[in-house]
Amino acid sequence: MNVVVIGLSHHTSPVELRERFAFAESKIPAALNQLRDSGLASESVILSTCNRVEIYAATALLPAKAFSELTHFLVRAVGAGFAPGPKAIYTLAEPHSLRHLFKVACGLDSMVLGETEILGQLKDAYTLAHSHKHTGARLNKAFQRAFNVAKHIRTHTNIQRGSVSVASVAVELAQKIFSSLAERQVLVIGSGEMSEKVARALVSRGVKKIVIAGRSLERAELLAEEFSGRAVRFEDWAGEFGNIDIAISSTSAPGYILDRAKLEPLMKLRKHRPLLLIDIAVPRDIDPAVNFLDNVYLYNIDDLQAIADDYLKQRKEEIRVCEGIIDQKVSQLRNAECGMRIGSTPQGVPRAT
Amino acid sequence: MYSVFLWRKGFRKDDRANYFLILAAFALHTTAMIERGFSISACPVNNLFEATLFIAWTIAASYLIFGLFHRLRFLGVFASHLLFFMGVFALMPALDPPRSSTPDFSGTLISLHAALILLAIGAFGLSAVAALMFLTEEHDLKVHKLRAAFSLLPPIQRLERVMNSLLVCGVFLFTAGLAISPFLVRQKYGVWFKNDPLLDYSIFIWLFYLGLLISRWKFGQGGRRFAWSTAASFAFIMLTFWGFLLLSQVHHP
Repeated sequence: MNVVVIGLSHHTSPVELRERFAFAESKIPAALNQLRDSGLASESVILSTCNRVEIYAATALLPAKAFSELTHFLVRAVGAGFAPGPKAIYTLAEPHSLRHLFKVACGLDSMVLGETEILGQLKDAYTLAHSHKHTGARLNKAFQRAFNVAKHIRTHTNIQRGSVSVASVAVELAQKIFSSLAERQVLVIGSGEMSEKVARALVSRGVKKIVIAGRSLERAELLAEEFSGRAVRFEDWAGEFGNIDIAISSTSAPGYILDRAKLEPLMKLRKHRPLLLIDIAVPRDIDPAVNFLDNVYLYNIDDLQAIADDYLKQRKEEIRVCEGIIDQKVSQLRNAECGMRIGSTPQGVPRAT
Repeated sequence: MYSVFLWRKGFRKDDRANYFLILAAFALHTTAMIERGFSISACPVNNLFEATLFIAWTIAASYLIFGLFHRLRFLGVFASHLLFFMGVFALMPALDPPRSSTPDFSGTLISLHAALILLAIGAFGLSAVAALMFLTEEHDLKVHKLRAAFSLLPPIQRLERVMNSLLVCGVFLFTAGLAISPFLVRQKYGVWFKNDPLLDYSIFIWLFYLGLLISRWKFGQGGRRFAWSTAASFAFIMLTFWGFLLLSQVHHP
């Protein structure tokens, strides 16, 4: 029984193609039934996410035959009406199929390297197949081992450390300054797309109080409503500085709207509590000289992007370490299964050496 | 020395080499303490030298337990510096005088006085460690170093709170320790106050730390300056305490 994989992912096909081959969750149990009834696979798991559609199958067929049959099955099952081109679909047999499964579980094959969402999606796909009794000894062992490897890699490597988006980096920095984000107050000056993203990321990490200061009060009010915050007139943003802890600025002002001379007296009002300033505007809104003030931490878009890029670089440097671990774990799994097969050889039949 | 390199690298990875170096030092330290204990037929906590080394030993033991969790192993970078300075402090002259037939801290009041002062210095020491953590992280955040985001250090606001709490604790213990002094002086000399360099020095230290706390509460002094003052005042104690102890007539008649 060989474990094989066929599928499409963001590496091989655009979203227009992937969406044609995606499985609705409600249709997966029926598809798994068809796979078994047709004799194509004795065990199977279907993983369908926005970035990949994959069928993991344990089959008695030879790999070449299994790949062609599974491709036909995929086209029929989703009603695509056409077969994806040879470059769009990948087919893997053991040991590459197991290595691929482990890589997917660890986020090494993801669009955002090292992300963890895929592990949850893979667990859901496995649980669905398992609950409908479409997994057996081979896939159970392979998936359980994949989940263990993902945990091991998360604990022992830096592949999932740090944030690779500007908004997440801003949140991470805030967490390095403030004990708890829940009690922090955030001021958003100007309501650009990026400042919205950062505010959203902060809210997702517990920030409850948001004040929006926009040139268009109407738009500021709309945004404030979305965050359950409050809107103030653009001219009044400086009045909020006594209470806020984080300020995100992204106005289209041609020059600095906040400089050292303006901030220094405001810091006294704040009784020297730390202040994180995130300047996402181009041209910049905040004079870099304010960073020389005590308890003020200023980051502009380039600083945040540089940290995000460094994180990504570090994650890429970890790939080799992770692949080493995966190769080792795949070998261990295959050796264990091989040992079990030898151990279960009937009496009188010579054992393989 | 190895910890200095780790400090420069940032605090992102647990470091087994540092852990095992401290473990090896701990094993040697334990052996030395056992040897000393057998040689004097008592627990080796009878004078300032032994007390300092005992505190260092407990700090190393605590770190070795915390260090079992890989996320907390980075604390070894700070622990090794603290242990090194405590070791240097313990080697200063006059802390380990020739042993008399009776233990130095035989009276309850003297033991309490010494224990309170030592605990206060311990609290100031830990506050200085928190201050060093604060200064490191604050600097990294200011100059936009990647390790600011990547490090395992706690948020600077929490470190500031820890610094403050330990200082309060230290001042409280120091006050209690100093408050016992007049009774000890009266027991020995029949007067409530006797001018002594170590006593003057202790009052200066007490006033300094009290001033530090008042400047924080009253004038909102915080952040970098507060951390520098905390770290520098502990370094001052480490470098000067033994000198005043040497000059003291009350402690070495």
